[in-house]
Amino acid sequence: MTSVTNRTTWTPWLYLAPALVVLGGLLVYPVYQLGLISFFEYTQAQVSGGEPTTFQGFGNYSELFSDAQFWQVLLATVVFAAACVVSTLAVGCALAVLLTRVRAVPRLALMLAALGAWATPAITGSTVWLFLFDPDFGPVNRVLGLGDHSWTYGRFSAFFLVLLEVVWCSFPFVMVTVYAGIRAVPAEVLEAAALDGASQWRIWRSVLAPMLRPILVVVTIQSVIWDFKVFTQIYVMTNGGGIAGQNLVLNVYAYQKAFASSQYSLGSAIGVVMLLILLAVTLVYLRLLRRQGEEL
Amino acid sequence: MKLSPRLAVLLSALVVTACAPQTSTNSSSDKDDKTGTLRVWLFQEVGNKPKEKAVDSVVAAFEKEHEGTKVEVEYIPIETRAQRVKAAFNDPESAPDVMEYGNTDTAGYVKDGGLLDVTEEFGDWSETKDTDPTAKQSVTVDGKIYGAPFYVGVRALYYRTDVFEELGLEVPKTMDELATTAREIRAAKPELYGLVVGGAYTYGAMPFVWANGGEIATGKGGSYASAIDSAAAQKGIKAYTSLFSDDNCPAAKCAGMGGNDTVTAFAAGKAGMAIGGDFSHTAVEAGKVKGKYAVVPLPGVKAGSIAPAFAGGNNIGVLKSTSHRTLAVELMEQLASKKTQASMFEAMGFLPTFSDVRQQVAAEEPYVKPFAETLAAGTKFVPASPAWAQIDSSLVLPTMFQEVISGKKDVAAASKEAAKKMDDAFGSIG
Amino acid sequence: MRSVSSVTFVRRPWRLLAEASALLIAVVVAFPLYWMVLSAFKPAGEIESSEPRPWTLAPSLDSFRRVFEQNEFGRYFLNSLVVACTVVIASALIAFLAATAVTRFRFRFRTTLLIMFLVAQMVPVEALTIPLFFLMRDFGQLNTLGSLILPHIAFSLPFAIWMLRGFVKAVPQALEEAAYIDGASRSRFLWQILFPLVFPGLVATSVFSFISAWNDFLFAKSFIISDTSQSTLPMALLVFYKPDEPDWGGVMAASTVMTIPVLIFFVLVQRRLVSGLGGAVKD
Repeated sequence: MTSVTNRTTWTPWLYLAPALVVLGGLLVYPVYQLGLISFFEYTQAQVSGGEPTTFQGFGNYSELFSDAQFWQVLLATVVFAAACVVSTLAVGCALAVLLTRVRAVPRLALMLAALGAWATPAITGSTVWLFLFDPDFGPVNRVLGLGDHSWTYGRFSAFFLVLLEVVWCSFPFVMVTVYAGIRAVPAEVLEAAALDGASQWRIWRSVLAPMLRPILVVVTIQSVIWDFKVFTQIYVMTNGGGIAGQNLVLNVYAYQKAFASSQYSLGSAIGVVMLLILLAVTLVYLRLLRRQGEEL
Repeated sequence: MKLSPRLAVLLSALVVTACAPQTSTNSSSDKDDKTGTLRVWLFQEVGNKPKEKAVDSVVAAFEKEHEGTKVEVEYIPIETRAQRVKAAFNDPESAPDVMEYGNTDTAGYVKDGGLLDVTEEFGDWSETKDTDPTAKQSVTVDGKIYGAPFYVGVRALYYRTDVFEELGLEVPKTMDELATTAREIRAAKPELYGLVVGGAYTYGAMPFVWANGGEIATGKGGSYASAIDSAAAQKGIKAYTSLFSDDNCPAAKCAGMGGNDTVTAFAAGKAGMAIGGDFSHTAVEAGKVKGKYAVVPLPGVKAGSIAPAFAGGNNIGVLKSTSHRTLAVELMEQLASKKTQASMFEAMGFLPTFSDVRQQVAAEEPYVKPFAETLAAGTKFVPASPAWAQIDSSLVLPTMFQEVISGKKDVAAASKEAAKKMDDAFGSIG
Repeated sequence: MRSVSSVTFVRRPWRLLAEASALLIAVVVAFPLYWMVLSAFKPAGEIESSEPRPWTLAPSLDSFRRVFEQNEFGRYFLNSLVVACTVVIASALIAFLAATAVTRFRFRFRTTLLIMFLVAQMVPVEALTIPLFFLMRDFGQLNTLGSLILPHIAFSLPFAIWMLRGFVKAVPQALEEAAYIDGASRSRFLWQILFPLVFPGLVATSVFSFISAWNDFLFAKSFIISDTSQSTLPMALLVFYKPDEPDWGGVMAASTVMTIPVLIFFVLVQRRLVSGLGGAVKD
């Protein structure tokens, strides 16, 4: 980039202006407010009752960190998000490879089915899955002969059910992206590998995976971001966090604290903690990119 | 977390002086317009049409009486009400002038600065001399009145007459008999729940605690201390949670149920008995069990006694932010008047809050009798503390019941933790 | 370039097996959607039956009737469409400009900005409802569609910019130089040369902003307080999610109505989406 560079230094800022205005006003400023609230005593009485807001320092945070439930929810969130990411990636990649092995008709069928799952609004998808697994009226228990087994009663089975829905609606993004990536790999490379007698697994490991690495990094990081913030699925499928709150994840927990109990400051503190965790993930991601010698 | 003192001071100075988070000063509006549009929020009930009809006639009369006024009624879903109401408090522009609210929310809403003090108007209103004292209590905070009672809700025991007859069962007279009868029904008819109970059905569970001599909290005048972990209360919790077993109402299905779920199950003919309210009457009548059920007061511990019921119900209040004070108060009075309550009883089965109107309808409709008896036997109310709204909405009691039911904790541990959470709330909110 | 699927090394029995499993998986993946539509058409008695059958012999439109009979349903639908389309168009244009700036120019803070765009995606939206509420109130936007449009533009921008980078980068530098030599102005290059080339990428990213705006019920629930004429589709659907008597027929019919526009959108952009996503991450 030579000739374009430095022609006029203000041009990029002009292009960026609308984005910066929108993001500054509607994202950065609210995030700043979020951080601010997390340092105050801020409940409904302060918001509308005319009581003065009082500065709490790290009071909200220490209250949060001394709450055993918070740690339990944090652990559940991390494990659940990890399980979702791994399952989504595994299913998405496997199906992307499968797509390249079949002729047009089955490929179109699978592609359309996946797009359908992707297009389904989260609230709709959650309800439909819940209905499919309904102990009284759902077809799944009939087919599996489980009688009136309730999937949402046990902690793990409830998480498992949500995981299925999350994977169902998020694998298409991975599949389509990876498929597009594989298609971009020159056929000659694969032919050469096949002629050398390499197995499918080996071709994937030694040829495709390295070439697809940038794509894989992108879909992984996106999955991490999305799955860590899962909200609607848990909220709808476990009715706001499950029996005795056993299926809470951080995002739902923050929402319940803030809106159900009006403890906006605690909810905000949880939001800030989430943001910090995701930031740490981003840093790892950036290091990965940098190690690949990739420029931003 | 440790900060150097200087940094902490600097930080706090920066934060406090520069920019405290936003609030809205919900001061009462000085305006008192005599014309314009009044906005009313009422709850959307199961089968709302009859309610709309009754309200429409009140509104039509009101609009006719006051030229130049228009009344816009909106029915808000009960599940999302908390958010709507809070938003209304936060943005007076969007707030209604008059709204219906649950009587357990009174103290909380007053604390949030949302409701208008109508003590004077309430005193001048001739009909209020007949208001039942429990109902009046439910609109009163610190001696001031914040609305008009709309209806009272109290729960009693619904049971299937056909099932009882077929199995030759007697209507239970004590709580122990209730449990054994429930198990007998389930044993004879495994497709039915004996007594359908819900882990998230706080007001169905509390009579068990109260009947055993327990309390949610003790105290008065703003300072409360939790008592849910007392020996008596624990006994009640045990009695209730032991009903969640495969020989009555399997935990896997019942632990997650709320009050409405249990009534729905009963109405659909899936249970031998249920704890339902007078307000559930219409829903049950519309179900499969019509003509095959009867209602009695929920039995207490001793034979012949009645378990204390929770005195629920809704009120109608005026919002502090209204710019039509006179009109809004008048509309509130008309919506909660004897006449409206009588027609509301006919439409929805809501029990009137005026003693004389209630007697009158009880004479006409025999199904009211068990509920009236329950009311007469003495009812209980949740702590009249603003903290209750938070305790209620953060699911302290349902969580406690569910923890016991699902075997995550024993009664002592679960109730102790619930007590601690409640005390925290009482302590911080008062 | 030959596509991998035409490669000859896949032997016949293996391919048949692969195709059979692809079809089977397609059926499994599509099944929930099928069940949704089926339940929407089932007559009342069949939905809540303990012997659910994967077909119905007496399709009924009752459930759909209940959905459409709701007050001003058409209005809600239109509102949703307005919100989603405005968000898609606005965020596509803004993101296009921003992506051009960060890929085709070098300037101070460029890398910092890029990192900020990535970080911005991580903000938990739900937690921001309260500050946004006050912001919207101060802008006087509460109870208007603007209160839904503005935050959704903001929340879909970072991802859109991040995705579009690849497309803008893929347009050869030489093309740009040639355009300038031919005397094209900067804005001419931007809108008449770069924009059409990047268009498939815009389509791919618009899918994400469309979905998030179309599905939203959190903001609608929080910001549309008193003016129901400004309500959106998901709010109308929530009516059927009654905890006391879940009207499964109504829920499924409403869900079908809500899913169909997105499906149409997807099918329309399907081709571009596949090539688009590939391009976005090829950099």
